[in-house]
Amino acid sequence: MPRSWKSYQSKDFFDELITAKGQPRVAARRAVNLLSGLTREEVESRRTEAELAIKDMGITFTIYSEGKNIDRSWPFDIIPRVISGREWKQVSKGLAQRCKALNAFIDDIYNRQKILKDGIVPAETILESGNYREQCKGVSPRFGVWAHICGSDLIRDKDGKFYVLEDNLRVPSGVSYMLENREITKRVLPELFEHYDIRPVDDYPTRLYGALSSLSPRSQRRPCIVVLTPGIYNSAYFEHSFLARGMGAELVEGPDLFVDGDDCVYMRTVDGPERVDVIYRRVDDLFIDPEVFNEDSVLGVPGLMRAWKAGNVAIANAPGSGVADDKVVYAFVPDMIRYYLKEEPAIASVKTYLCMRPKERDYVLNNLDKLVVKPANESGGYGMLVGPHSTQKKRQEFARLIEKNPRNYIAQPTLSLSTAPTYINNSVEPRHLDLRPFILSGRDTWVTPGGLTRVAMVKGSLVVNSSQGGGSKDTWIVEASK
Amino acid sequence: MTMLSRVAERLYWSARYLERAEDTARLVRSYAHLAMDIPKSAAPGWDILVRIQDADQIFLDKHRAFNETNVLGFLIADPESPGSIYSSVGAARENIRTTRDVLPKEVWEHVNELYLYTRDYAESSVGRRHRQQFLDQVISRCQMIMGLIMTTLCRDHAYRFIQLGHLLERADMTTRVIDVGAGVLLREERHLTAVDPLIWASLLDSLSALGTFRRTVGPQIESDAVVQFVLRDRTLPRSVHFCLDRMRRELHPLKNRAKASRLLEGARRSLARFPVGGASRDELHRFIDRFQLRINELHDVIVESWFLPPEE
Repeated sequence: MPRSWKSYQSKDFFDELITAKGQPRVAARRAVNLLSGLTREEVESRRTEAELAIKDMGITFTIYSEGKNIDRSWPFDIIPRVISGREWKQVSKGLAQRCKALNAFIDDIYNRQKILKDGIVPAETILESGNYREQCKGVSPRFGVWAHICGSDLIRDKDGKFYVLEDNLRVPSGVSYMLENREITKRVLPELFEHYDIRPVDDYPTRLYGALSSLSPRSQRRPCIVVLTPGIYNSAYFEHSFLARGMGAELVEGPDLFVDGDDCVYMRTVDGPERVDVIYRRVDDLFIDPEVFNEDSVLGVPGLMRAWKAGNVAIANAPGSGVADDKVVYAFVPDMIRYYLKEEPAIASVKTYLCMRPKERDYVLNNLDKLVVKPANESGGYGMLVGPHSTQKKRQEFARLIEKNPRNYIAQPTLSLSTAPTYINNSVEPRHLDLRPFILSGRDTWVTPGGLTRVAMVKGSLVVNSSQGGGSKDTWIVEASK
Repeated sequence: MTMLSRVAERLYWSARYLERAEDTARLVRSYAHLAMDIPKSAAPGWDILVRIQDADQIFLDKHRAFNETNVLGFLIADPESPGSIYSSVGAARENIRTTRDVLPKEVWEHVNELYLYTRDYAESSVGRRHRQQFLDQVISRCQMIMGLIMTTLCRDHAYRFIQLGHLLERADMTTRVIDVGAGVLLREERHLTAVDPLIWASLLDSLSALGTFRRTVGPQIESDAVVQFVLRDRTLPRSVHFCLDRMRRELHPLKNRAKASRLLEGARRSLARFPVGGASRDELHRFIDRFQLRINELHDVIVESWFLPPEE
């Protein structure tokens, strides 16, 4: 065994593959044995092979900088992350449950608003949220489902338990990388597949097609489904095209579609206009219809909201879904599960203190050095206080901010992210990671086996975003070995 | 099968650019061979290669002299020259990148590889040492991609618009090749009859038609016979007649084709009527000019009949 595996240690964190005693976890044993038996040259040649595969397959993400688009290859670590099927079953159940409750919530908010009237969730936090769309009031999408595709970010804390960190209900991305990662692993580590029953992920596009076609307003054998992309300059364009292909759907841009006098949506084809039944939109809802939202938008289709409200076209995710995708709402998800489903949450949320509640505010103010404080309406880590890494001065500043505008702040305990062995220049080192599974809802609910594992490639870093040096790993859900 | 107007347009262009890259590579390869065979005093000059692309102006904005290095740099590696191999491959890739969902997966992989190859090697392949190998690679990779399309793509609208782009570009290029011949010889009113057959042979070679010509027409390479063969042979896949014939076939299943079909028939008639034997080189040149206008017009009608309306 090369030294780097023997001396591998991930102090103070839960490691996905190696126990605190330095032994491989049961589910990961065969993978670790095989990988640790490879010589340095073999590792190098497989990593090169993976890089070549990525280049040939054209797996890129786009970074827009200095007026030019740069296609970067997707950074990929060949060591898979292995999770046992038994453990995953519980996670998967929790995610499906969570997604059902979130959809029930969105449907309630745009219709009867029972949860607000019953005082479970304070009305003003919802109705004044930047993600609440007044224009969606009174609409009842099929099956009461608004967020048909949900990407939830999970992390594993020191205790080895999975926590949901946030739910992405607008246009979650990353699923194509999950599929391509598997493809690459099959190419570069084929022998591992002989010894494992790894749950396949390839059927995602088919599942997505199934979920989307169940939404069609017309009863036809093959409804017309399109993927609406903002275009080639969008950073997720690769994925839009990938999914359209996988579903045999048309990949369209705004100008390809129009709404006619009958309030139906049509696409422009070489044979003339063709009616569209379901739009999987990868355009933010503020841009989908210049008649209703952002009037300067050229990415959208004038009249689309009209067609949707008339029930002539399904839009996934439905406009307005983002109302449930916000840090204050996050704190209420366990209550929603109890309220709508009469069940206890099967997957944990991170304990969240709402500063608008006096008791919780007092706790936050007294424990600023231990907590992470986040503004409710910002995303992407702006305006955050990470208690343990902060200064006295910074904490005082946040205390003032919270007292001045308590509604705008939430706080959470500082969690650690689990690690997994990752190749870094010829040796194996622990790197932090998270996990984004995808949940599809239409007539039925379905959770991907695994998801996209993102890795912070920089030592000690917790930033897994691809735009900031993050990479990814193939994620395996393995059945108990025979 | 549904075909979005925008997708049809991009497929059409991707085929045109791929064909353009291949044809430019063929032409440069044959011409460079020719240059080695002809005595310096009788050499026809490199400017011809730029002229047939109608790119004199762009060229002269950057270079003073039409020497080998400048011209081949311009045709092979210049990212600012729209007709260079590098630009054509880049444009083909960009169009395929945005239409890959309607094509077999391998098409994108191969086009992407071709792009990476030209990006990495175009610049260093302008000189004689590596040029041949580079051109061979470009040609065979383009052929592989077209072969892949021919053998895997359903004969649906996607295939149709690829074929239209590909055939239109090819017809255009073939007429330009004839024009090079006519142009070179037009300049040489001095009697360099010994050089004539070399030039025509080289042009036939650039169309992969030299062997076929010898077998079907005869071993003597003489200009009228070559022009006749390249313009009107019914079986040669790079003859103008052949391209027009296939375009007619591809237009047939399309709705809204009346205008395009009318233009195409006009082009076929004018091709049939042109008296190759009796025409002077100057007349040939003028015929080709007029013919190319027809091809441009056909392109405009294709755009107007099937592609996205321009944004208001």
